[in-house]
Amino acid sequence: MIALLRYRAAILLRSHRWIFPLIAYGLLIAVGAAGSTSLAETLDWSGAMLVPVTAFLTRAMLTAEPDAARACVGAAAGPVRAQFATLLVPLGGGALLGGAAVVFGVLTAEPASGLASPPGSIADKVSDVAHHPGIVVAGLLIALICLLVGSAAGALCNPPMLRHPGAALLTTLAAVVLALAVDVSPAAAAIGGTKAQAASPLAATWPGAASLIGACCLLAAAWGVSVFAATRRDTWSVHSE
Amino acid sequence: MRLDSVGKRYGVRQPWVVRGVSADVPAGRLIRVEGRNGSGKSTLLRVVAGITAASEGRVTGRPASAGYVPERFPGGLPFSGREYLRHMARVHGLRGAAGYRQVEGWLERLGAAGYAGQSLGSMSKGMCQKMAIAQALLPSPGLLVLDEAWTGLDTAAREALDEAVAERVADGGAVLFVDHDPARLAGRADERWQVGGDGAVTVLAGPGPVTVPVTVPRIGPRVQRVTVRLETLDAGAVLSRLRAMDGVRVLSADVEHSDSAGGSAGAEVS
Repeated sequence: MIALLRYRAAILLRSHRWIFPLIAYGLLIAVGAAGSTSLAETLDWSGAMLVPVTAFLTRAMLTAEPDAARACVGAAAGPVRAQFATLLVPLGGGALLGGAAVVFGVLTAEPASGLASPPGSIADKVSDVAHHPGIVVAGLLIALICLLVGSAAGALCNPPMLRHPGAALLTTLAAVVLALAVDVSPAAAAIGGTKAQAASPLAATWPGAASLIGACCLLAAAWGVSVFAATRRDTWSVHSE
Repeated sequence: MRLDSVGKRYGVRQPWVVRGVSADVPAGRLIRVEGRNGSGKSTLLRVVAGITAASEGRVTGRPASAGYVPERFPGGLPFSGREYLRHMARVHGLRGAAGYRQVEGWLERLGAAGYAGQSLGSMSKGMCQKMAIAQALLPSPGLLVLDEAWTGLDTAAREALDEAVAERVADGGAVLFVDHDPARLAGRADERWQVGGDGAVTVLAGPGPVTVPVTVPRIGPRVQRVTVRLETLDAGAVLSRLRAMDGVRVLSADVEHSDSAGGSAGAEVS
């Protein structure tokens, strides 16, 4: 499995398909940080933006390997493990981005954001956060929920489930919007919950346990469907049919 | 390995590509898969190789390591040939130095060592094909599946692949292959699987006819002179049947005997 992960991660890195999601995430984070008034709000936003970024990173990975090369890997390692590796790599990539965004949020937090003042050195900010760890832990939880939902959306809306590039792109986009806008979505619930209880800037805004469980179930179902489809269909590019 | 009424279709409303395939694939067997273009040979090979699951029936006892060579290996991966093979060695479970040695060994045997530093995208079709062959042979697989693997190879590499196939079979590996050239591994296959195109697959024992039937077009009453070299177990019988044919006169016949029970006869006929 480690060999498969290394191989797939190398494809993603060397094909430069990660650059677009990275730049998009960077821009979104920068915009969010400029517009938010508290650290909790910043982390809320950076978590929410993980949904589209992870979904499109998953799409980038799912479409990176030619059919013939995937067939060789399928014979060597079996299509189930091969597909799990394909889904795990962008999940890991999204986790790295989400973690980096939390660190960025903490380091750029303004004093008005509720952490102890005055605007000081990075060491001061870190010690501020150490006194209010709940904010950061809650932010990480929101990021985790959004990461899982984004990965599920990417797995459901791209090959081998949806093979036509146009249809897959539009469906991924629609799924991301729904995941952030519709109340039943665990990602929307996690973010909305924090808005409702943003009473004090120092209060940690915890996502509900239901949204975490929901995100895990959604991921398991989406990955299961994607892995099953990968064992049934070996031609993913519609143009070669 | 055994196939039990294996069938494959891509979707419930799609037609069956192959269906009802039952066959044993014991160790050390070389199987030629035959059929027209689009008859389902490639799909059957991919089911056997474990790349895609059968829609019905079961494939049991597949060897632990399997290698597959696709008919076309596009250079769409962002690696050099050597990097790709090293990744594939690890995927096949070969760790560290052992994997690297296998990679270099196969690059050498296929005559690709000097080109393995090139990116896959800049390689010629033949060189790409050599990378595809090398990745399949790296683990000395118990099951080797070759889908037109000889296409685009130079003579030396074709011979190296023939040799590698013979080694796998001698080692107790099962080898299935498809090739458009009926003379490929002529006389060596233990079995032929004929894919009918209607989904049916017929298993025939033996290597099948070694030479291809040739139809000589009739062009009016003009005299034609045909030279045929053929291999047969009974050259005398063939010659006497030729002589007995209407309108055929054997001009010369030259029979040579080889060590095996077979003999060859060259006959000039007009």
